[in-house]
Amino acid sequence: MAFTFSTLIQQIINGLSLGSVYALIAVGYSLVYSILLFSNFAHGGFLVVGGYACYFLLTQWGYGVAVSMTGALFASGLTAVITERLAYKPIRERTSITLYLLIASMGVNIIIENLFVVTVGGRIRALPQNTFPTGVFNLFGGVALSASDIISLVTAVIFLSLLQIFLNRTRWGLAIRAAACDIRTAGLMGVNVTFLISLVFFVAGVLAAVGGIFLSVRYSLYPQLGSITTKAFVAAVIGGLGSLPGAVVGSLILGLAEMLTAGFISSQMRDLVVYSLLVIMLLIRPAGFFGKTISEKI
Amino acid sequence: MSEKILLEAQNIHVNYGAIQALSGFSLKLMENEIVSVIGANGAGKSTFMNALMGMVKIAKGDIFLDGYPLSSQNYKVVRSGLSLVPEGRRIFAPLTVEENLKIGAFTRKDVSELKEDYDWVFSLFPRLQERLKQYAGTLSGGEQQMLAIARALMARPRVLLLDEPSLGLAPIVIREIFRELKRVNERGVSILLVEQNAKQALLLSHRAYVLQTGRLLKEGLSKDLLEDRDIKAAYLGQSA
Repeated sequence: MAFTFSTLIQQIINGLSLGSVYALIAVGYSLVYSILLFSNFAHGGFLVVGGYACYFLLTQWGYGVAVSMTGALFASGLTAVITERLAYKPIRERTSITLYLLIASMGVNIIIENLFVVTVGGRIRALPQNTFPTGVFNLFGGVALSASDIISLVTAVIFLSLLQIFLNRTRWGLAIRAAACDIRTAGLMGVNVTFLISLVFFVAGVLAAVGGIFLSVRYSLYPQLGSITTKAFVAAVIGGLGSLPGAVVGSLILGLAEMLTAGFISSQMRDLVVYSLLVIMLLIRPAGFFGKTISEKI
Repeated sequence: MSEKILLEAQNIHVNYGAIQALSGFSLKLMENEIVSVIGANGAGKSTFMNALMGMVKIAKGDIFLDGYPLSSQNYKVVRSGLSLVPEGRRIFAPLTVEENLKIGAFTRKDVSELKEDYDWVFSLFPRLQERLKQYAGTLSGGEQQMLAIARALMARPRVLLLDEPSLGLAPIVIREIFRELKRVNERGVSILLVEQNAKQALLLSHRAYVLQTGRLLKEGLSKDLLEDRDIKAAYLGQSA
């Protein structure tokens, strides 16, 4: 593919838009990791719940976009809280070895995926065309800026800013930051740690649902859509697991890398580049850009 | 010091698997009193503190505050008026000094009175005020200990519990911190202190308990224990 300036701009826009969706997913991932020190592979499941909730609220029950999205965010957030209570809390109370949580989260992911396969079927669905404005703005030199790109970017910025405000300006936000540093000592400050963990899972679930809805719009909706979380996981590792700014930066790098590869090399090389980036990062800087240096990462 | 019992632990047993960390330890803390628990490493001192705070499960025994059973849930214990300065300080290193103090006041509903407490902890440890915007991880060991104590005080506790506050600190810093603890007590806060540094602990406290492998070895007035031949030999590093 020939190198043109307009292709570069176009792919940067696409990359930022994709990266912002990854960021929503990766930040939730990292948030859970920062508190409980395990990679929650059920995160993809939360995203799928959000996607389907939005789909059914829109198509089956005929609600408007705003109600459907809000409903989807709650559905995903609650799924995350229930998952934590049923699958993780009993393990947390018995052992401090986080490997068990990791394995449980893989199990939960498979359960959620298959619940959708069994109940609504595995076929690929699409959110209705009119969910978001579909206009395309033509910029200079044939660069196209689609309304959905703008919306996903703006929404991601809004949600990530809200998260930032919540973490830095509120009492519970401070408690979460303290717990990310030392959860036992946070308990000594009178913080109800069980509630705090539920809160973190709720927030992570909500962010995953936002990501899930945008992914359903960009691609399509199917029970295995959650597997895209692997990308967000890679982004979180590149940025430094447990670090929220790291998750955002890693996601943007990943989105840009994917789209620039697709634009200038080949679409099929996208994943190869992404995982090569991960391997290179782990070799040069295993803690990621912003990560704490800790011995165990997975 | 009054004659009213504030905190009472009766016959506390704690097991870690097959190991008995505490086998029937009892303790009383009067209002406005300073009590220390001394003993060697592994005697069960920290376990006792953690048991009071609801951080480890009690196999047998009861804990009362003001005659009422104390919750076994950590955050409820803090709300009822116990505040622990944990072993190894455990300040929140990536948060600022100010944020550490703020999280210490997490349970406080009387936000309007917080200013008063900030002023008070700054009068105890003026260096914290100078370092307010600094990350807690950049403080020296002594300053971190001061922050840990100030953080615990921000909860406005009735009982301040301290687990090895002198650990790893220079003698001059230890003296400074213990002097301020006396001032804390004079403000009406009862103090329960666990220490390997028996001499400092006995000099500060009114009464003391000596713990050995999970059991009470001796108890009495601190000034008597300071003169006790066995205690001198075993814990004060002096031959009798």
